[in-house]
Amino acid sequence: MAFLEINNVSKKFGATEAVSDFNLQIQKGELVSFLGPSGCGKTTTLRMVAGFEIPSTGRIVMDGKDITDMPANQRDVGMVFQSYALFPNMTVAGNISFGLKIMKKSAEEINQRVNEMLDLINMPDYANRYPYQLSGGQQQRVALARALALRPDVLLLDEPLSALDAKIRVSLRAEIRAIQRKLGITAIYVTHDQEEALSLSDRVVVMNAGKMEQVGTPFQIYNFPETNFVANFVGTLNTAPAEVIDPARGLVSMDGVQFISADDLNGRQKGDKVRMSVRPERFSFADDQKKDNLLDCTIENITFLGSVVRIQVKIGNTVFNMDTFNNPFLELPKIGDKGQVTCSKEAVLVIGH
Amino acid sequence: MKIKNIWAWIILIIGLVYFFLPLLATFEFSLRMIKDRYTFEAYRVAFTDAKFYLNFGYSFLWAILTIIISLLLVVPTAYWVHWRMRKMRPWVEFVTLMPFVVPAVVLVFGMSRLYGGGLKLFGTPVLVLTGTPILLLAGYVILSLPYMFRAVDTGLRAIDVRTLTEAALSLGAGWGTILTKVIFPNLRIAILSGVFLTFAIVMGEFTFASLLYWPAFGPYMEEIGAMRAYTPQALSVVSFLLTWGSIGLMQWIGRGSVQEVAAVH
Repeated sequence: MAFLEINNVSKKFGATEAVSDFNLQIQKGELVSFLGPSGCGKTTTLRMVAGFEIPSTGRIVMDGKDITDMPANQRDVGMVFQSYALFPNMTVAGNISFGLKIMKKSAEEINQRVNEMLDLINMPDYANRYPYQLSGGQQQRVALARALALRPDVLLLDEPLSALDAKIRVSLRAEIRAIQRKLGITAIYVTHDQEEALSLSDRVVVMNAGKMEQVGTPFQIYNFPETNFVANFVGTLNTAPAEVIDPARGLVSMDGVQFISADDLNGRQKGDKVRMSVRPERFSFADDQKKDNLLDCTIENITFLGSVVRIQVKIGNTVFNMDTFNNPFLELPKIGDKGQVTCSKEAVLVIGH
Repeated sequence: MKIKNIWAWIILIIGLVYFFLPLLATFEFSLRMIKDRYTFEAYRVAFTDAKFYLNFGYSFLWAILTIIISLLLVVPTAYWVHWRMRKMRPWVEFVTLMPFVVPAVVLVFGMSRLYGGGLKLFGTPVLVLTGTPILLLAGYVILSLPYMFRAVDTGLRAIDVRTLTEAALSLGAGWGTILTKVIFPNLRIAILSGVFLTFAIVMGEFTFASLLYWPAFGPYMEEIGAMRAYTPQALSVVSFLLTWGSIGLMQWIGRGSVQEVAAVH
């Protein structure tokens, strides 16, 4: 049985349905990310688990206990907010010990737990600082320590890194993941940043317009998107309208250019309108390696992105992005050059129209 | 540039003269009680009058009670409006502006009529409050509403009420703890502003105390003014010092907080 179950949950604000028929089972110690654009319902779902919103329909069960209507301050849930939400009038130690004092723990236990938490976030000398004396990253680490001090059953993180700069974001997300693994705590992480979701989650729930689009491991979500939205939202994707030519062979045509796909097209008929997609990194120049699809192209543009070089190639009448690792010893083609690119049939995804 | 500076100085001096000249004149006049000499005789007379202490004491008591009632009424209301009912904010703000629209004298007569037997149930007057200080205190609370609400509202806008409340809730706090440990301490300066403004208003208030027949500093000053020449001027100066003292105290207690708020937001 799952540790946290969100069963058929929906939430309406007036006539607007923010979350619709949401179903998810989370195992103990698992970190699940809710990924989606603004307004997709990910934060509303998190707030329902936290108890800040009551579902319009459905039930939320934690460790076998129905908590759907339980007040927020009675749930065994810790929360980390985007804006840190540290109490400005309290020191770091005061913030971390806040919940412990409410639980009426002994002074000795509170001291011990505060020190333990400060060590956990690598800030042992900051106990007497006030939030305004800390950087954004330090404030968020204190917020994490404050939420973890109560040893909650579930940790909820609502876009905790959005307000931080890029470098701190990367280091702090690794820290959050390491702490979550070390404590074995069940966690839900809300983000609109796909890189964040893919890099730290056991599973990702991609959401759109209040609905779950796909649930899966980061590998599944990135490599095998089940819907057009997931394919477009997660990672960079080339997509173009195509027509099914031979369902049995996985053959589709885009502007007269034929692609072979490994997708099972048997459910589709010849002449069906579909969308075919290829990730930029799945293309390579023809002389690299022989693959299933050999395509004539013209180089349209070249963009240097550091570790990656993005080359825009025109295949038929459609421009595709192709990513190749930066190799300073290889000569790049020039704009206007004609050549051939290839990709395997597994790289060609046929998603639907 | 220099001409601009000169104009700035001229405007500043005109402003200072406009504000301080009448006060200096009042102070100077208050020192002339004994002919041809500057003395503090008027102040001695004022401070040796037992009625001064009685009226001042009553006003002080009314001020403290008004502050307590206002805080209990305004802080939770403003907090709830910010936390759960943001759309209601303009309406609550409108209600708090009533003392600027309805003159105190109209308010006091209206209250006297309604709560002096005007409110009837099956022909029997109910809620007869004349003769108790409830009407006076209610009037003072209404008078202080625009200042108290605005001060607290400004303080609440400076902190993220919703997230702080949710953070406290997720840590197991109840409403009492949230208000006393999280919201009140972070509104310290805003609340103090409201408290001192209310204090200054109640200490000098005349209409309510006079028409409801309760001893207070305002009617006392008016009474002394009608009978004596120098003592009322001395009391006016004392009144000013009291107000300035309150403002000074407010700024002293609030020192350093601007930096904290700026750093946090």
